[in-house]
Amino acid sequence: MERRDFLRIVGAASLAPGAIDGPPVSPAATVLYDDRAVSLDRIGPAPTGDPDGLWIRKRDLPRVNGFELKPQGACRADLCIPIPKTLVRGEYFNLTAFAKKAGQPVVAEPGARVWSFGEMQALGGGLANSRTAPDFEVPDRLGRPVRLAGFRGKKALVITWASW
Amino acid sequence: MGGEAAAGKWYDAAKATFTTLVDTKHTVSSVFQFINVPMGVWIDENGRVVRPAEPAWAASRTDVYGGKPLEIQGELYVAALRDWVANGDKSDYVLSDEEFARRVKPRSPAEMEAEASFKLAVWFQQAGHAELAAKYFERAQALNPDDWNYHRQEWSFTGEAGKKWLEKFKGFDKEYYPKLELNKKGG
Repeated sequence: MERRDFLRIVGAASLAPGAIDGPPVSPAATVLYDDRAVSLDRIGPAPTGDPDGLWIRKRDLPRVNGFELKPQGACRADLCIPIPKTLVRGEYFNLTAFAKKAGQPVVAEPGARVWSFGEMQALGGGLANSRTAPDFEVPDRLGRPVRLAGFRGKKALVITWASW
Repeated sequence: MGGEAAAGKWYDAAKATFTTLVDTKHTVSSVFQFINVPMGVWIDENGRVVRPAEPAWAASRTDVYGGKPLEIQGELYVAALRDWVANGDKSDYVLSDEEFARRVKPRSPAEMEAEASFKLAVWFQQAGHAELAAKYFERAQALNPDDWNYHRQEWSFTGEAGKKWLEKFKGFDKEYYPKLELNKKGG
């Protein structure tokens, strides 16, 4: 095998598509989380004094961020974050307050019913805490999902460029 | 125009035989903390990052924009990459844990908020809400002015990319790209 065959190069063009390709605004709420846009058809009313707060149904939590509510707290894989009782109200869960507790930034445009959640420190802090490459999934030119984990066993060079 | 419509012709022209992605959400840049293009990372067979984010040019040249030089070191980068492909862990360009830690810093709270703002801006742009997109592009740029992707992506929509780029480049008092540090023996 030639040397070049050992090296698999992953090139990624970082280009936002044109406006006509965009998703519609959700009638209730859209949550941007880990580069996924999750549409919610029902959310709880934000209490007075916290107009940017986002109360989602507890059953929507796993598909929003992979967490689920357990007696010991909000859990994802082997991580459980204890939560105060004030974060739960009936069938709703205060996602923005949970983010604050987990050290996760939230940028909201409540008028358009869109909330964008950033990096969650409680999940490990990325490359600064581990040299293991975080897995990701990005479509190829034909729209087929490509995962970085699929390149295990080979050297990989991941490069981004853009035509701007 | 964006996505495959914009990127595809470049991949075609390059006759790319490698995996080609169209990253409309800037996922790769988020994961590896890329702040400009082109930038790259090396990852070994076990999924371990050998070298974190750094400029990834294929050829060297020095450009001058508005009287200010912009030096690009591609030949050294490619030579180092070839050395790693040939020698693996024995390559002089595999970073030690100490050197890796020196180069990779956790995002600050402002940088994390900037990233969330940028993702919101990109989403609004794709949803056809240009005014809201501009609001959050601006917020991301203010929170982390060193990330050129936040600027260059927005400028690509405005039709003023060249003019805006030159204005910021001339006034920028830091390295346009992170310094390419290709020292032998773990650097």
